[in-house]
Amino acid sequence: MPLVRYELLMAVLIQHGHGKSNKITAAFDNGSVNGVVFGARNEKPDSLRAYIDEIHDNYEDCELFFDPQFYVSTLTPPNDRYLPEYPYYESGRSASDFTGLRHVRRYAKDTLQFQADLGVSALLSPTIIFDSFSDRWHQIALNLADASLECHAGLTDPPPLLLSFVFAEAALADTDEVNRFLDTVTQDEWNMAGFYFIVARSEMAYHQRFEPSRLAQYLYLAHVLGAEEPNGLRVFCGYTDFVGILLRAVGAEAFATGWNHSLRQFHRGNFLQRRPGGRPARERYSSDRLLNSILLGELQSIFEVGQLDEVLSNVSLDDQITSGSGPEAATNWNRAVSQQHHWQTLGAMDDRLSGDVQSDLHNIVEWLQNADGLYRELEAVGVQFEGNSGRDHLRDWLPGIAEFQRMAGLTSS
Amino acid sequence: MSDLPTLTLEQIAELIPEACGIESLDKGGQKVVFRGTIGKTQYALKFAKVPILPDDLENEDFPMSDVAARAQREVEIMRDCKSRYMVKLGPVGLQFTTVNDQAILYFSEEFVTGQDLRAILQHDGRFPPREIVKLGLHVTDAIQSLWELGKVHRDIKPGNIMRRDPSLEYVLLDAGLAFDIVGESLSIGPVGTPPYFSPEQFDFSNRRTVLDFRSDLFSLGVTMYEMATDQHPFWKREDTSRSLFNKITMFNPDPPHKIVPDFPEKLSDIVMRMLGKSPHLRYRRCQQLIDALSEV
Repeated sequence: MPLVRYELLMAVLIQHGHGKSNKITAAFDNGSVNGVVFGARNEKPDSLRAYIDEIHDNYEDCELFFDPQFYVSTLTPPNDRYLPEYPYYESGRSASDFTGLRHVRRYAKDTLQFQADLGVSALLSPTIIFDSFSDRWHQIALNLADASLECHAGLTDPPPLLLSFVFAEAALADTDEVNRFLDTVTQDEWNMAGFYFIVARSEMAYHQRFEPSRLAQYLYLAHVLGAEEPNGLRVFCGYTDFVGILLRAVGAEAFATGWNHSLRQFHRGNFLQRRPGGRPARERYSSDRLLNSILLGELQSIFEVGQLDEVLSNVSLDDQITSGSGPEAATNWNRAVSQQHHWQTLGAMDDRLSGDVQSDLHNIVEWLQNADGLYRELEAVGVQFEGNSGRDHLRDWLPGIAEFQRMAGLTSS
Repeated sequence: MSDLPTLTLEQIAELIPEACGIESLDKGGQKVVFRGTIGKTQYALKFAKVPILPDDLENEDFPMSDVAARAQREVEIMRDCKSRYMVKLGPVGLQFTTVNDQAILYFSEEFVTGQDLRAILQHDGRFPPREIVKLGLHVTDAIQSLWELGKVHRDIKPGNIMRRDPSLEYVLLDAGLAFDIVGESLSIGPVGTPPYFSPEQFDFSNRRTVLDFRSDLFSLGVTMYEMATDQHPFWKREDTSRSLFNKITMFNPDPPHKIVPDFPEKLSDIVMRMLGKSPHLRYRRCQQLIDALSEV
């Protein structure tokens, strides 16, 4: 019996960050995204309101969310930019600021009330980052969620509520604790519409690797909560990049990914004050065949061995990379186009999902196997990939999917 | 010395003068049970010994024994539970007294005429699917009503379910082990009947384990599985506590439709979902289960 998940109405959301310029509107105009998750840190409150209104006026069917980024309040020293202008935010919070329900209720109330008239599709609850499903910060996160439910129930005609949880990738290592978390958040008195999850990645580097058992656990979380059975709740996953496709396949309603590396994956370090410096990220090309974003130089090498067509994603913006005598000579290809192309590629991959979990996973496994074969072919003819552009992620995803299927009682078809 | 009170019919008649036609019914566990008629209705009259002295009956601070606390919990549930499929309190509420230097408690309960599910299973074996659906609907209604009071039954099993004559409705009995999610637990450690334990009942000493009505749904799932297949999904006679624990927490039985020819797959899926190892895999709300059963 097919496990049909939530109807595929939404898929790819933009993870908003610093320097939006016209990226969001261009993505809507391209038809490659369905909405935006705005991050409070990167927009002043008045500017945010005005921009949301502008988006609503011009793009009727889009879904807009606001991540209050309350979790920055416990990071030290925070890189919190415009957050201090938001009424619910205060930096330097410690565990003692969360003792007593009175404080927790106030945080929930202030955060939800700010969002209530923003014109967003759902309210996102405040949360804090935790490293383990058994530590005290996890309990604080649950208390904030509980308080948000209570507050939401008292609002007049509010948008639906999504409970936010931000946790370290390492937290997914403890199966028993993840199961307890799932038992808790699926209690019948927790009357939310769904969840917004962010996994804080362990490494600062940008790559598609995801430790298999942790990936399996993340997929299990999304599946148990988001698939029509058993729970049928709405699951949104932020900062997911390519892994978002897997999460969609198992039951997530949508995933969000941004225009630069720090917006495609969540790293705690991006929210901490750092010494200025560092080089800008090198331009990449997102290939659905390789399920990876590879460097432009690597794409050039592929072109030179006559295999460019094998790795192209076959989306409209590929015209820009094939317009010259090679990728590196493509004058129309630039950072802005690359960013739009990334969303287009992910959107196209998502369009190939059917809503049947087993069937979609079967297809994704085929994609991964084909990608592995393609990498080997390219390597055999002399194309060299840097570590993060290579096929290591495929060696994670395949066993991760297999383990998820075993955990969920799904047999590979 | 016996834990059960020794009472004559005459003594009972003195304690409950409004009852007539009193006859002995059953003794076992912690109670002796008589049947009597009050008004025109038959009731079960239940008596248990409590380890308190007469002088302390007036002392509100005197800590209740387990027996007394359990009886109080049971009586409150029978009084407050709105489901017609939960046995009801009779006209005699919980009373304490002494008889022959025995401190006892007693109360009356609806007398359910019929057979308990255990006896029917032993006699008739497998139930037809529509009967399993009916039982599922009735007992889930009782579980839902208990949950509205913040209570988990914790001892759902065939021996605690009666099929009432002549309506053939199923009635859930014995809420004495019910767990109050708000109040204190009566006992430390798992209580109930191990072959019908949910996985989380084994882990109850862990304060972070979630124990709610979904545990009762698991136990009901075990019961429905037995009705469907005439075999317990986990327990065999030769099982030790450890092997039973392992099976309940880790083993997935064959679905009923793989064991019984022509068994409706939809109903089989429902039972198997009720047997999900974690609460988050079962039905999130009783109404969802009721809707699913109604569709079969």
